[in-house]
Amino acid sequence: MLSDTEYRAVEAFLYTEARLADEARYAEWEALWEDDAIYWVPAHPSGDTDPRRQMSHIYDNRSRIATRIKLLQSGYRYSQEPASFMRRLISNIEIEKTDAGEFVVGSNFLLLELSVQARHDLRQWGGRTIHKLRWVDGQLKMFWKQVLLVNAAEPLPNLTFLI
Amino acid sequence: MQQATTNGTQFETPAEINVETLVHDDKIHASLYTDPHIFEQELEKIFYRVWVFVGHDSEVPEPGDYVTRQIGRQPVLMVRDKAGAVSVFLNRCAHRGTLVCPAESGNARAFTCPYHGWTYDLSGQLTGVPFPGAYGPDFNKGDHHLPRVARCDSYRGFVFASLSPEGPSLAEHLGIASRLIDRACDLSPEGELDLSAGWVKHRYMSNWKMIPENDTDGYHLGFVHRSVLKSAGSQYQLFIGEESNNKGLLRDWGNGHTEIEFSTGYKQPFEWFGGAPDKYAAYLAQLEHSCGKAEADRRVFEGPPHALIFPNLFLAEMNIALFYPLDAEESIQWHTPMFLKGVPELNTRLLRQSEAAMGPASFLLPEDITIASRNQAGLHARQPEWLDLSRGRNREYVDEQGRIVAHFTDEVTNRAFWKHYRTLMAQV
Repeated sequence: MLSDTEYRAVEAFLYTEARLADEARYAEWEALWEDDAIYWVPAHPSGDTDPRRQMSHIYDNRSRIATRIKLLQSGYRYSQEPASFMRRLISNIEIEKTDAGEFVVGSNFLLLELSVQARHDLRQWGGRTIHKLRWVDGQLKMFWKQVLLVNAAEPLPNLTFLI
Repeated sequence: MQQATTNGTQFETPAEINVETLVHDDKIHASLYTDPHIFEQELEKIFYRVWVFVGHDSEVPEPGDYVTRQIGRQPVLMVRDKAGAVSVFLNRCAHRGTLVCPAESGNARAFTCPYHGWTYDLSGQLTGVPFPGAYGPDFNKGDHHLPRVARCDSYRGFVFASLSPEGPSLAEHLGIASRLIDRACDLSPEGELDLSAGWVKHRYMSNWKMIPENDTDGYHLGFVHRSVLKSAGSQYQLFIGEESNNKGLLRDWGNGHTEIEFSTGYKQPFEWFGGAPDKYAAYLAQLEHSCGKAEADRRVFEGPPHALIFPNLFLAEMNIALFYPLDAEESIQWHTPMFLKGVPELNTRLLRQSEAAMGPASFLLPEDITIASRNQAGLHARQPEWLDLSRGRNREYVDEQGRIVAHFTDEVTNRAFWKHYRTLMAQV
């Protein structure tokens, strides 16, 4: 059974993670990850694709997350130089607690991105995110983030910000 | 005279522009990237005439398997029939023009139009017309088949279509550049590719021609891709820095087909796959079994091609990409990893490499696409009128196979693209 305190802690984690991503606070966002991380954005909206056989937009382990962040911090990641202005809304939060005391969290998001790298285009992104979280030394950390974009299978503009 | 609006300024454009006057051996006119009338001519004279890459036969392995694609603005359907043959049809009901197949891929026993129920078999024959009694005795179902593209042909699984009944054959169009496709296929111990991982689609706000030009432009590598070169290990490190240290070459294969040759700069086998040959011992053994040790060693040293097959197929090392022009200022690129038949464990690694290299969230292409968007914005400035293409003209040479060759950072590939473009656009 999920306690109110646990619900509030998970919800606060989602909001913090979203804000760090929105504000391009790369190092702080990266610090939310555990070493057994999987950061997965399938190329199909259903999410029932096999990442060993089918293309994903992102299928990062911890080391590739680190590379992704290094690129963003290099000063030469032109597709995010300067970083897009972003804000995302999170709702429809559903939390399951596993027998191991971890949390599987589903939530919907709607993200507004002002892309400012070439022209100034306001883009909207939306979908459902599945986070998997666990307590580590009194802090929640994530070890799984799957983002199911509603338009995952369509031609997408650059997706090099933290989705 | 038609009115065009470009960058907020109204100006008059002649209905028929003589495009060949805008392409010279050493310079091209900026309007080639921005003028919507030129774009319309390109659809007619390039995309609706030449051999355009549609798909790969491994995408439709079973009878009834299909994929839908576009040639320019025209929707097409690639399908494998009961006898195993792959055909390309225009995706349009012969009755009222409805898309007979709205899905992107799948398997069908027949295609039934949802509008009035006309039904076509897998070879495009009209087999069913509801309430046929209302048509007169002259009505013949054989006259109303699913329209086929004028010509369809394939080379080692790559299916091409031409919407023109006349012109060079596919073999003539590919010319000696068919060897680039061979180079890709011959990396598989079975000699065949498997493009079954699905396509990732990337939208970009620039003229379609910037992508084929950029695909085989070596000059930009150390600049546009500085973030990845600074942040991650990459074989491309061998091709940046001082020109004299960079042993890569560019080649013009004729008919607009162009290539960056990386292997002349490689120092060991499998450099194209991140080095570490011992990791690939099982694959190498399979390849040796199929073609002998010396040939296998040559293939794994040389690696895959990095080449453009004019106009819309990019053999992007271990990826296959195709692109679609939408209008003068917007385009789409699709890509998929180039799986090799017979080596599934290698293909999983390929998948992860492909995600890192290409696509909207990858480590390479988003930079190209951002710079292309900045090019597109900049080209609306009306001065200078011409873009210089002369880099390396003083040091290019023709090799024993008839290819024009130049240094990695030269512009022989861009000149090759535009030379063929001018030939096509000059045709009536």
